[in-house]
Amino acid sequence: MPLSGRMDVEAYAARVAREINGFKTDAWTLPKAQILNLHYEIDNDTISDLVPVTLHPSIPAWAVFHVTHYPESPVGPFSIAEVRIGSRAGVRPRGFVLRAYVDNDKAASELAARWGYPTVVGKVYLRGFHDRVVARVTTSDGKNALEMEMIDREAIAGSDIQYNSSMHLARNREDGKLVVVQLDPTWTFHKVERGKAHIVALDSEAWGAGKLLRADYPISATFATCDVTLTKIRYVCDPTVDAFKGTTAVAA
Amino acid sequence: MKFGIFYEISVPRPWSAEREKQVFDNCLEQVQLADELGFDSVWCVEHHFLEEYSHCSAPEIFLTACAMKTKKMRVGHGIVICVPEFNHPIKIAERTATMDIISGGRLEVGTGRSATWNELGGFRANPDETKKTWDEFVRCLPKMWTQERFGYQGRSWSMPVRAIIPKPYQKPHPPMWVAVTSPGTEIDAAERGIGALGITFGTFKEQEEKVKVYHKIIKNCEPVGEFVNDKVSTVNFLFTHEDTEIGNKVGRRLLGTFNFLAAQLSAARELYPTKSYPSAGLLPALREQASNPGDEAGVPEGIAIGDPERVLRACKKWEECGVDRVNFLLNALETVPQEQVLNSLRVFAKYVMPHFKEGGVQAAAAGGGR
Repeated sequence: MPLSGRMDVEAYAARVAREINGFKTDAWTLPKAQILNLHYEIDNDTISDLVPVTLHPSIPAWAVFHVTHYPESPVGPFSIAEVRIGSRAGVRPRGFVLRAYVDNDKAASELAARWGYPTVVGKVYLRGFHDRVVARVTTSDGKNALEMEMIDREAIAGSDIQYNSSMHLARNREDGKLVVVQLDPTWTFHKVERGKAHIVALDSEAWGAGKLLRADYPISATFATCDVTLTKIRYVCDPTVDAFKGTTAVAA
Repeated sequence: MKFGIFYEISVPRPWSAEREKQVFDNCLEQVQLADELGFDSVWCVEHHFLEEYSHCSAPEIFLTACAMKTKKMRVGHGIVICVPEFNHPIKIAERTATMDIISGGRLEVGTGRSATWNELGGFRANPDETKKTWDEFVRCLPKMWTQERFGYQGRSWSMPVRAIIPKPYQKPHPPMWVAVTSPGTEIDAAERGIGALGITFGTFKEQEEKVKVYHKIIKNCEPVGEFVNDKVSTVNFLFTHEDTEIGNKVGRRLLGTFNFLAAQLSAARELYPTKSYPSAGLLPALREQASNPGDEAGVPEGIAIGDPERVLRACKKWEECGVDRVNFLLNALETVPQEQVLNSLRVFAKYVMPHFKEGGVQAAAAGGGR
């Protein structure tokens, strides 16, 4: 049967997981977001250590490098950068979020409390040029966590693009237990471009992944302007068993 | 309606030398029995790098072995990938002609282009280009098979004039097909006068509509080959047993295992945004199928699983939809023990096949043959 994740979730959670304030948050609608999304193949030998047993690592191993600027939100403008490991929950495609850098303290706290997002405060830069779109992520102590770009911008249709739902580890404040939370945003696209993906710099440790995360081979890059809705939480999973066995529906 | 068998050749981990060999041996034993029982054809995929799901990366070798093990069955590429990074068109023409000679004129040539990033990325093929290269290949192949000498100045490939040899045994050439997974490919098939090799596991209604459109368009086709192959095949699962409970239980396990395995792969569309792949092809269709609650026995509509009576009903419905042949997938990850697979073939031949007047062997190719 397909390979399963073998992440040490307690050790990983100690490094990155935030507390979630129950599973009953309201949705946020965030208009005119700009998203730079890169797909990159990563090390096949280490991917199983980067996802919990809940998930099956993707074949071949790939990750999503996802940087978003939200010009409007209930807590003001903010930008967020995530690295997601390509995987499957049962038969569903998912991205497991290793860590998320957010450049607004309030947004980082709210995303953690409402959705359990593994946020940490840092600098997130996202800017478009005529020949490329560039994103750069810097840790609070000044380390370059990620620098990436999409080269040769080319317009495509919104229907050509596919983002998957994501999942991440969080500790439930109500009972102190670790859970894997599924986030199912919806996207309404206004403008989409694609281009060549290029990762200039990647610091694996800055994403809580020790030395296990290595960008090996570019797949694709897209840059989208869209309205995003961070929906209510629908499902959480037990991080110690397969998603088929350990998934709980938490919202109607 | 005719019945064939269809192979992905799925090998469970751990991949020992003995396990790989056992799976191939099992497949060949099934093929030999199917030939004796009156199944019409054996088909196999060309897939690369699809771990556990399909170890069928050299279909021409497997199909040659099938031809050697059988007397009457036709042997079919389902499909050969028509993308230059995977297969040079000259090599396709040469290999298929040789297979046709060795099999005594029993070859069917299905064509296609791959739909996973596993494969397209592995061969560094550009997903934007695959539909275009497929089109160029299928126009060239019949000429390469039939013209004494062939030269070509094309978009994705070119060659000076040479004699491409040998020529196929079937005259003018083997029947051609295309795998239909993306919406609209059935129209591509009809416009070019080639058979629709339906890999999609659709509902009766969806398939019936596709067949109608196909037959309407093919009447005015511009054939790429020397003759029109106006046949429609579909793919299905097969597990049947006289005991209803065993038929349903084992069949559902086969279906679930295959769908789960297919879902682990990376569809081209999931990772590479392009108009060339308007749907993700087979994989999401299978995920959809996996989530379909099915009938009271938990078997989705149209799937040939259960006791012979239920399988007969499913096959009759496909016949009513206008399908000319159903090709059956028999196993996944060896989840069905070999003895049960062989028994299922026997039960099908005994109880289901006699209800279809053309269910036996049809040695001549559709429109082709010597």
